[in-house]
Amino acid sequence: MNYLLHIFIMINIYSILALSLNLLVGYAGLLSISHAAFYGIGAYIGTLSIMNLGIPFLPSVLLAVVGSVLLSFIISIPSLRLKGDYFVLGSIGFQIIAFSILYNWVGLTRGPYGIPGIPRPSFFGLTIDSIPAFFIFSLLTAVLCAVLIYIITYSPFGRLLKAIREDETAAEALGKNVTRCKITAFALAAGFAAISGVLFAGYMRYIDPTSFTMMESVYILSIIIIGGTGNLSGPITGAVLMIFLPEILRFLQIPDSIAANMRQIIYGLLLIVILRYWPQGLLGDHKLK
Amino acid sequence: MLPQLLANGLVTGCSYALVALGFALIYNTTRIFHFAHGAVYTLGAYLFFTFWSLWHIPFILSLFLAFIAIAFIGILIDETVYLPLVRRGSSPLVYIVSSLGLYIIIINIIAMLYGNETKIPLSGLQPTYTFGGIILARIQLLIFLCFIVISAVVFLVLRKTRLGITLRAMRDDSELISVMGIDPIFIRRIVFSLGSVLAAMAAVLNSLDVGMDPHVGMSAILSGVVAVIIGGVGIFEGAILGGILLGILQSLAIWQISARWQDPITFLILILFLLFRPQGILGKRRRMEEASA
Repeated sequence: MNYLLHIFIMINIYSILALSLNLLVGYAGLLSISHAAFYGIGAYIGTLSIMNLGIPFLPSVLLAVVGSVLLSFIISIPSLRLKGDYFVLGSIGFQIIAFSILYNWVGLTRGPYGIPGIPRPSFFGLTIDSIPAFFIFSLLTAVLCAVLIYIITYSPFGRLLKAIREDETAAEALGKNVTRCKITAFALAAGFAAISGVLFAGYMRYIDPTSFTMMESVYILSIIIIGGTGNLSGPITGAVLMIFLPEILRFLQIPDSIAANMRQIIYGLLLIVILRYWPQGLLGDHKLK
Repeated sequence: MLPQLLANGLVTGCSYALVALGFALIYNTTRIFHFAHGAVYTLGAYLFFTFWSLWHIPFILSLFLAFIAIAFIGILIDETVYLPLVRRGSSPLVYIVSSLGLYIIIINIIAMLYGNETKIPLSGLQPTYTFGGIILARIQLLIFLCFIVISAVVFLVLRKTRLGITLRAMRDDSELISVMGIDPIFIRRIVFSLGSVLAAMAAVLNSLDVGMDPHVGMSAILSGVVAVIIGGVGIFEGAILGGILLGILQSLAIWQISARWQDPITFLILILFLLFRPQGILGKRRRMEEASA
């Protein structure tokens, strides 16, 4: 039972990541390979604020979101001048720099040793101290984030993002500030990624930089490419599929030594096959371009 | 201290330059951001390791076999993964993501077959040579010499032969190629096989120097791509210049700061170039619409 709940908790965490990255990829049309950096920065800021500064859980979440959003400006303002392949490369650069800072700034983050013993989330006298409780907590958080993202995407701002994705020049000609719009999308995506980071840290009770590598960014990106972008059901389907599917290997009696590699090979294959035959993903309504 | 660091940086730069030249051959002509070039690099080193260290095939023959195999794998990658996307008119971003998928598949197959630990094909202490205070290991010297010979050959081909002219023409306008009666598929096969062999050469030389694990291809391709951008996209000489420059800059950065910050420094250089000189050192200024196309 706890095993199933664990899978559902991971689905909740990754749904938030996928939905927020979708704001960038599916709505603003920006293919960013740096989402794990914001996820990690959120996890670290939240954790350090709880453990080193003694700030309670909810204000720490807020701090993580604010920190992540501020950092998103450092990357979005310069990188939005880049287009196509160069934008992707710039985002990879940011991801690698962020990872190196988490890994090498040992004085602050304990680097490769990681941070153990992260306290369970607690607020209003309530402590989330069991797996079923954490499942409900993560589900509520994910639903809240999904509702917020739903409201954003159906607001005039969301329609403007879609318009930019379809034809940037036309949106500009209508007097819309395209750059400010993209910067906002970046900030929103970074803020939501930070929430899932704090959630992840509170659930695992241990974080180290290897959870936030460039390959993790590629993994989050592949969730929405496989599930589909441009709406809400695509990213959620992707998260469910990409987290459930590898568990099947567990029942096929595949030895642990190669199971991790098999999982990666399957998702690499899925990525290539989906892009070839269903370029809009399983449930998406927008083709990557 | 400084001359030794410059020499080490130069040798590292030579292997970056080979990877970068391979990447540039493919990227400049086909516009495919071949991230899986890094996986081809790793594969090259492991194929050579298999032939030479595991099956005890003579050194030269092992090299030859590994390069032939890699050339075919390069073509196979293009025809099974990229060409169908090109025929459907996919966007450049689809190539990048497919290429990342392919990278993941190849690296994990290698890790499954050979394990994640470091393999060292050439063990024991290497003889060293001293040139006026600079000490270089034999393998470092070999890397440098191979680089000189290979880049000279590639440049003669690019500058003096009909094939070279065709490649440069394809870089400038890939659609005109077929109008001229040249089969673009044939050119693609040339660049993918040649590019892959260049990566494999760098990989084999490097594995003889410092060993290898399945993940070496990642830093190789990232350095290679950064080298191409620094030197100037679209210019084959740029890849060489960028590679050497990156090697030397990294070596100086390690000396002044710390080896731990090598990756961030590499990417800081990249981001500075992307922002302030996106056309690279040798590139001419182009309009943004052209550069992104």
